Amino acid sequence: MDRRIALASIVGMLGANIFAPLARAIAYQPNPVINTGAPEIVFTPAQRALVTALSERILPTSDTPGAIAAGVPEYIEHMLGDWAITDERATIFEGLAAIDMRSIADYGKPAVKASAAQQDALLTLAMNGELSGGAPFFEAFRQLVITGYYTSEIGITQEREYLPVPGEYDGAYPYAKVKRIFSS
Amino acid sequence: MAATDRFDAIVIGSGVSGGWAAKELTEKGLRVLMVDRGRMVEHGEDYPFDGKSAYEIPARGKMPAALAKSDYFALNGWVSPATQPFFINDRLNPYDYDAPNKFNWVRPSVVGGKSLTWGRWSFRWSEADFEANKKEGVGTDWPIRYDDVAPWYSYVENYIGVSGGRENLPYLPDSEFMPPFPMNVAEKWLKERLESEFPGRKLINARLSNITEDKPEQNRTRCQKRAQCDRGCSFGAYFSTQAVTLPAARATGRLTLRSDSWVTNLEYDPAQKRVTGVRMVDANTGQVEVVQARMVFLCASAMSSLHILLNSRPAGSERSYFHSNGALGSAVMDHIFRVGVSGDIPGMSEFVEYGRRPGGVYVPRFRNLEAEDLPFKRGYGFQGAAGRQASAPKGFGLSMKHGMREYGPWRFTMSAFGECLPYDDNRVMLNHSKTDRFGTPLLRFDVRFRDNEIRMMDDALEQGMLMLRKAGLTNVTGGRGKHVPGEAIHEMGGARMGHDPATSVLNKWNQAHDAANLFITDGAQMASVSCVNPSLTFMAMTARAADHAVKQMSAGVI
Repeated sequence: MDRRIALASIVGMLGANIFAPLARAIAYQPNPVINTGAPEIVFTPAQRALVTALSERILPTSDTPGAIAAGVPEYIEHMLGDWAITDERATIFEGLAAIDMRSIADYGKPAVKASAAQQDALLTLAMNGELSGGAPFFEAFRQLVITGYYTSEIGITQEREYLPVPGEYDGAYPYAKVKRIFSS
Repeated sequence: MAATDRFDAIVIGSGVSGGWAAKELTEKGLRVLMVDRGRMVEHGEDYPFDGKSAYEIPARGKMPAALAKSDYFALNGWVSPATQPFFINDRLNPYDYDAPNKFNWVRPSVVGGKSLTWGRWSFRWSEADFEANKKEGVGTDWPIRYDDVAPWYSYVENYIGVSGGRENLPYLPDSEFMPPFPMNVAEKWLKERLESEFPGRKLINARLSNITEDKPEQNRTRCQKRAQCDRGCSFGAYFSTQAVTLPAARATGRLTLRSDSWVTNLEYDPAQKRVTGVRMVDANTGQVEVVQARMVFLCASAMSSLHILLNSRPAGSERSYFHSNGALGSAVMDHIFRVGVSGDIPGMSEFVEYGRRPGGVYVPRFRNLEAEDLPFKRGYGFQGAAGRQASAPKGFGLSMKHGMREYGPWRFTMSAFGECLPYDDNRVMLNHSKTDRFGTPLLRFDVRFRDNEIRMMDDALEQGMLMLRKAGLTNVTGGRGKHVPGEAIHEMGGARMGHDPATSVLNKWNQAHDAANLFITDGAQMASVSCVNPSLTFMAMTARAADHAVKQMSAGVI
């Protein structure tokens, strides 16, 4: 018998004296916990590889680490799998497929195998709305990469400067003294 | 709890009001039991995300939509993974409303209540606030005036520490201030422009319960400009029960604190007109207990206090002992909210902000201070701040990444809080056909905003945009979102204070007309709500009521 039904029938048998605690036991399910471990799997291996490559093209390694080092691909899978604020899965899937299709047409290989310059050209087509579903994909994907990067440890502490305990407030701090802009 | 434990007073709730009641009553020599339905949170050690950066917080600090929808639906954007530990699970703790009149009832789940997560803006009411109902013939008159509360404002302000600037405004009396958090260069520019374009209107420093000077005697350190207050602050830099009132009450040796105790109702002797016991259910075991004391301070938060009062009823009756005149549960209010305006402040690009203030600037109420021909009564104020975000270049790749290393222009944003009038048919009641996990009928809301509130929101949007434009801001935008009552988390009223026992629940000392040993000092007491943030007033009123209660107890009246 289902545990829930079993408890309900016990209430029926014993009556009201212990109603409150048992009712609570029946109704109680613990507060849900946000998954901070590995993300729920959203992508096929091929999709994941393309997301990884394209995220690095959006925020590349330069004098500071890029999207891959900052864990952006995993962040995106988390967002689409279990941290979603809005569900953008279909937009992302369609955009990835359109980019792949165009890459095969133009370069004779899937986008993940294309060169960095070719991937940039594919992203530019998407950005300019010259692929089916390209513009909404680009907008959503770009925002996921940006948010994932600038909320990562690398984004917060290396690309920007983080003041964990500023101690003071200066509302006219000279911009000239700022080496990297402050993380919020 | 041992059967031999004896208490002079029971304080129900441990938030802003309950904490103050416990502090005052224990310091005056009473043995006090403070109970809270929430779990225990100790100062510092139980703030899991204090000092953590975004990457150390689940889901990078943004609440997953599915979880917000399933379990935290009343919070509607308020709860974040960093504050989730302090808020109640709505799925497990339902309430009720008529579908067209939704109410977002935001509730804490911890000892300390909303004092851990509150906005910390702290204002005195003015003489005009206390007089407005009588002057306009709206609702019921307050049985007290500013002078009755002023010394108690001073008393609590000196203890908790309130930062702000002296302005000598009759409609927004000064507190006992610590130095304010300074305005930044863009806000100073805006102040000058706005005040010269709109004579009589002011832009002033925020008034906050964040302290700008140490309070070593309370083991509290001045604000460190982290702006992460609602995760709990180990520095004790803002007022919370944990940082301020609980240590004081514990230091007396006369406080017993019991968490995880859901008070379902008060037991009452109609012949003696006295509360005779407090019935509570242990949230972990379901064990029911009735605890007795000479006096009860009900500070469970406005709507929860009403819930307890409405559920305090004779066996077999659906009508509360305290519902003798129909006032209980009526004239529930919330502040208007959800009006915001923004604009770019030109220039000053050679300056940025260093550090993160817990609050910025305030535009005090300017409407209906004198007789004005406006389509609404009362007024609103704006809370805001100027700051610079990273610029947002288009495109992608290296040019975008390096473009985002620059700051964009100064941008100023402010949002309105306005006064809602007391309407007797904005009410809460019990729904006897649905019960919670402790067998208590659900609290049912029937509260909505009326023409006065809608017109005020329209005016706030119009005036807000006008002020920014005329002050010289560019790219001025504004919006007026749908406002579900409760969302300002300033829900108040329902057990109002009044002269007349026929139309109010409490007398001028927060003492129930129907029970001399029952005091209600949270937001339920309010007969009107001003447009300023209410918590400082709850603190002052609680201290005042505790003083009166102990004097009455000493005199043998209670």
